[in-house]
Amino acid sequence: MIELKNVSKFFGENHAVKNVSFKLETGMIGCIIGTSGCGKTTTLKMINRLIEPSSGEVLVDGMAARDEDPINWRRKIGYVIQKAGLLPHLTIKENISILAKIKNRKPEYIDERVQELMKVVDLPFEEISNRYPKELSGGQQQRVGIARALMENPPVMLMDEPFGALDPITRNSMHDEFYNLNQKLGKTILIVTHDMNEAFKLADKVILMNHGEIVQMGTQKDFTEKPANEFVRSFLAEHLNA
Amino acid sequence: MRKSKFIMSVFFIILTSSTTLAKSADKVKIGSKIFGESMLISEMVAQLLEINHGLQVERKLGLGGTKVVFDALTTGGIDIYPEYTGTGYIMILKEDGLRDSKRVFARVQEQFNQKFQLEWSQPLGFNNTYTVAVRRNDKKFKNIENLSQLSDKDLNFKFASAHEFMERQDGFNSLIKAYRLRFPPSNITSMQAGLMYSAIKNESVDMIMAYSTDGRIGAFNLKTLKDDLMFFPPYEVALLASKNSLKKFPALKAVMKTLAGEISETEMIEMNDQVDRLKRNIPLVAKNFLIGKGLIDGDVQTFEEESLISFFKNRLPYLKKLFIEHMLLSLGALFMACLISIPLGILLTRKEHLTKFIFPIVNTIQTIPSIALLGFMIPLLGIGYLPALIALFLYSLLPLLRNTYEGIKGVDHNYIEASRGMGLSSFQILRYVEIPLALPVMLAGLRTAAVIVIGTATLAAMVGAGGFGDPIFKGVATVNTRLIFLGAIPAALLAILVDKILGIFEKIIVSPGLRDN
Repeated sequence: MIELKNVSKFFGENHAVKNVSFKLETGMIGCIIGTSGCGKTTTLKMINRLIEPSSGEVLVDGMAARDEDPINWRRKIGYVIQKAGLLPHLTIKENISILAKIKNRKPEYIDERVQELMKVVDLPFEEISNRYPKELSGGQQQRVGIARALMENPPVMLMDEPFGALDPITRNSMHDEFYNLNQKLGKTILIVTHDMNEAFKLADKVILMNHGEIVQMGTQKDFTEKPANEFVRSFLAEHLNA
Repeated sequence: MRKSKFIMSVFFIILTSSTTLAKSADKVKIGSKIFGESMLISEMVAQLLEINHGLQVERKLGLGGTKVVFDALTTGGIDIYPEYTGTGYIMILKEDGLRDSKRVFARVQEQFNQKFQLEWSQPLGFNNTYTVAVRRNDKKFKNIENLSQLSDKDLNFKFASAHEFMERQDGFNSLIKAYRLRFPPSNITSMQAGLMYSAIKNESVDMIMAYSTDGRIGAFNLKTLKDDLMFFPPYEVALLASKNSLKKFPALKAVMKTLAGEISETEMIEMNDQVDRLKRNIPLVAKNFLIGKGLIDGDVQTFEEESLISFFKNRLPYLKKLFIEHMLLSLGALFMACLISIPLGILLTRKEHLTKFIFPIVNTIQTIPSIALLGFMIPLLGIGYLPALIALFLYSLLPLLRNTYEGIKGVDHNYIEASRGMGLSSFQILRYVEIPLALPVMLAGLRTAAVIVIGTATLAAMVGAGGFGDPIFKGVATVNTRLIFLGAIPAALLAILVDKILGIFEKIIVSPGLRDN
């Protein structure tokens, strides 16, 4: 479960995020959507404390972020970013297991877990585990990024435009796969995107932000049947392809 | 494991080099200036000490010009060297006026004793003063015997002298003033003393500032013009030693006595000719002379021409010694530079404001010509391994520091943020992400530094630190091409070899994921 209570972030006089509150129940997928500069990525980064909030409270599974050491906090939260952020000097296996290695997990355990995860994200272990990121396609890299975030089996995952760099066909099939995957895994996942179709397709809860504030929150049905205001209506009209 | 072994071996090298430094304290250190005559006399002193007194001797022959060798003597870098009374009188005491040889000698003897705690031996017997030399068959000088015959005339011929003569008090500027010689400035060149004789022989220049005992005056059919105004003081050679050294090694005093008055002008000219023109081996010429004079026992040896290959082969122990000296200097300097530059470079990426102070300093050091940088070290640290090591260390700082800084700075911010987001600490990001990604750039800096250091280390011989520069300097001073090759070829090969080795090292430690396809 992810919960934000009146979270704000100011950079000097200007607010990037203002009084954001929402709750994402365990096992649910949430999507924060909005135009660039609306504060969606800042909101996401305040959850894993890459950015510290100016005020308000962030809770994950009932624990308050500010009570924890930031490094331990981040290790409990899977993090996936655009283009996967794979480290080019490490092999696929090393990329997936970097955190496990730092935590001194046994090599046998790491081996087994990497094999298992690569199966989960549908990557051939034998063939690519010893290759380097540059030898993989964009879609494959993105799967590695997800496998890496799952390595330490975090209850919660944050994803910043995870499918943004993929071509439309790959993206579509990744959406389906990802949705089915989480039916099995049951993680609480918060995704930042600017793609309305993606949000409606994946999310149990869609959060639309503008100028650092939440404009509307709810299911696809809530948005299409009861748009909160004119901004929502025009945003949908502009971003929702038939 | 591999890394720790490497570090251990570098420590070992530095340790052993410092113990060899400690051992050399028990040896008599003999210096000389960088030309054949000075080296010959020092070699005689060395042989007398070894053979007649059973002392261990460290030869620091061909250290450099007067300033370098004299500084070495006063700072204890050497115990004894041959000096000329006129040089002591004019250049070191900065006095002038006296021309009588006995009075000049008495003056330097008294003054050196008081001012520097140094003692002169009695003169060894010959006077090697400056003399103006021209080609005997040059029509321009057909009826000229005295230098004053050239006064107040426009002299449109070329003049060359040694670097040292251009700079010194009693040197070129005073000479042309005294004789009212009118040379256009473009006709005046200064060069390595040894090269002047070839220059006048092949008519690149018409007049040189020769030494009166130089073997090539006769051999190249030159004539000398008489110093009829008595411009030059006497330059009698004598041995100069510090009082401390004389106390520590009483045999030095005995040798100073043995050689006093033993070498005539004719004998010196003959020996200089053997060394400078015929390229005969200095220790052998010195030994034959001492045997001939009955100063040591042994058989006079004859000289055979060596082929270039046997020239190298016969000097393998010397080459091995040079190689070790060169490597100790280069590796020591590089190791120290890595130890400082890499952490400092990383620190600078964290504390950007420090770059404003650090980089200008390091850049400035790099712009100091390497010869000058080594020269600065002499008054601070004396001569030998340490000043050369420090100078080379300073020289290798910039490429290592800049590449470490640029390499780490150049790491894509996305990788760092992805790693932070995963829960890596700052140190873990440095260790697992930034350094491995910056490694190709950092290693390129190391390769640049290594090639610079190995090349520049040839200049270390200037401050008596040995290395492949030793035969190069001696070779240039005595115009001995083979001696130059003896240092230059291995130095170049070593630079190429080290660059290749570092290239292989790079292939091993840089991730294949970072290589261009």
